[in-house]
Amino acid sequence: MNKILVVDDDMDILTLMEMTLSMNNYSVKAIARWEEIYESIDQFNPDLIILDVSLGGADGREICKNIKRSDRMQRIPVVLFSANAEMGRHVSECGAQAFIAKPYTLAALLQTIRENLN
Amino acid sequence: MQVVVSVLVLGIFFTIFIISDTRSYKQRKVEDTITLAQVIGSNTVSALQFLDEEAARNILMELHKVNPDIFQAGILDKDGNVFVHYSKPGSDSPDVFTLLKNKNSLFRENHLYVKSDILNGNELLGKIFLEADLAELRQLNKSKFESAALLLLLALGFSVFLAMIMQTYISRRLLSLVNTMKEVARTGDYSKQIADDGKDEISVLVQGFDQLMEKIKENLRRKDEFIGIASHELKTPLTSLKGYLELLKQIEDHSLSRKFSEKALNSVSKLEKLIRDLLDVSKIQGGQLELNPIEFDMGNLVDESIASVQLFSNTHIIIREDDLKNTMIVADRQRIDQVLVNLLTNAIKYSPGEKKVIVRSKVAKDELVIQIRDYGTGVSSEEQHLIFDRFYRTRNTSVHISGFGLGLYICRDIITRHGGRIWVQAEEKGSTFSFTLPLHKLAAKQQTLLNLSNEQNFSSR
Repeated sequence: MNKILVVDDDMDILTLMEMTLSMNNYSVKAIARWEEIYESIDQFNPDLIILDVSLGGADGREICKNIKRSDRMQRIPVVLFSANAEMGRHVSECGAQAFIAKPYTLAALLQTIRENLN
Repeated sequence: MQVVVSVLVLGIFFTIFIISDTRSYKQRKVEDTITLAQVIGSNTVSALQFLDEEAARNILMELHKVNPDIFQAGILDKDGNVFVHYSKPGSDSPDVFTLLKNKNSLFRENHLYVKSDILNGNELLGKIFLEADLAELRQLNKSKFESAALLLLLALGFSVFLAMIMQTYISRRLLSLVNTMKEVARTGDYSKQIADDGKDEISVLVQGFDQLMEKIKENLRRKDEFIGIASHELKTPLTSLKGYLELLKQIEDHSLSRKFSEKALNSVSKLEKLIRDLLDVSKIQGGQLELNPIEFDMGNLVDESIASVQLFSNTHIIIREDDLKNTMIVADRQRIDQVLVNLLTNAIKYSPGEKKVIVRSKVAKDELVIQIRDYGTGVSSEEQHLIFDRFYRTRNTSVHISGFGLGLYICRDIITRHGGRIWVQAEEKGSTFSFTLPLHKLAAKQQTLLNLSNEQNFSSR
């Protein structure tokens, strides 16, 4: 079972993602506080990260850059997640693999995840 | 304009000066001539005593030689008969004796006529009459007018020169202001500033312009920020709604489908609230937020509002620490409910991890005070005024709190429209939001409130 880490500061979205992904046979860890992301990566060892761009007090793109700079974490694919469709343009510059705009379509979400799992 | 006024004022001053100078000159001349008459009079005392006409005539002729301005001189004896009379040859002056029958001195066509008694001790011997030509005065006035005109001309030239310098200075700055304004209107670049730290009126105008631009820029920035937040805030519940509905489609389990539809409905209600706030703000902006005041029991409303908020919160308990039964007020019940629900929801939202919110109320003089106390993150003193502004959102939280930042702005508008006040106070832990509503006990006052709210609606339109 592939493991997916979801980071989003909105509790509703987190619960939704948790349910959606577990119902589709993924093991999910969902966190609301971005500060916990590195610790979660170490403990949970995810196969893919879904990362919200506008986190309370932090920019998801910067966190993505950090992940991609780290030897230990850079192999993990990152999917940026935002309600702002323009964020899709920043995907490659911060090293992310894909972008999903909110609100998403279930089929598209699952396909993007499948495509980016190593 | 300034030049014309200053020249006019100068002209008036010169005229006044010349007139008063001429008057004092005349006064002096009268005195001098009377003195002269008295001197001549005393010289002719012996001539009068001895009835020596010849001697008297000589004295008068000598006088004319010494003082050619004296055109006419004459002496009457004590009985009023002409004793001696001398007149300058060629002079056509009227008879001095008849002119001064009832007066001691007289000005006539630039000639001065005076008379004086001739006394020997206390004995009146006769009267002396003199006519003096004031050609000197004419000459004097002429030269004064000339110099005044010259001075006026110089002043005119100087003030025109000064005005031109001033005008170039002033109009250059005004033109720069106008050009900047035009440029802003054309390009829409509100970051333009004209640095002018002077103290005069134009500097004040320019500084006012700079402040206006600063304000516009700030408002635009907030508006942009708002649009960003709005799209995010609208899309997040939509995401949730759409996501759950899609899951609902995917599953068959009925107990789960019930849970999912609850979640979906919750998102729908959040969307509803956001959209209602947006509509309220656009109504406030357009001055179309109307109040429908009715008389109701505030105690009941507080209970209802608490109950409706409590329904959606299983983390906090809202405690009422008073009894407000039978406190009738006249207000828009729905709008006051909106304010209460908003403040209570905020109190819960901004105190994650806490357990209680306290509602207190009291009647003070002619107003009702409602206070909502939370034990949350609190409001810093810098933020206490800002949080009631449109689009303002506190940056004091680490976890995302949904909303447009319009709630308190709407609350403030509703409360002030009712004639009340709303404010926040920092507590040792958390904060207290308070608002007042006027208590109108008399029916007449209720009518006033009704009219007032209508007037406010019209005037702000």
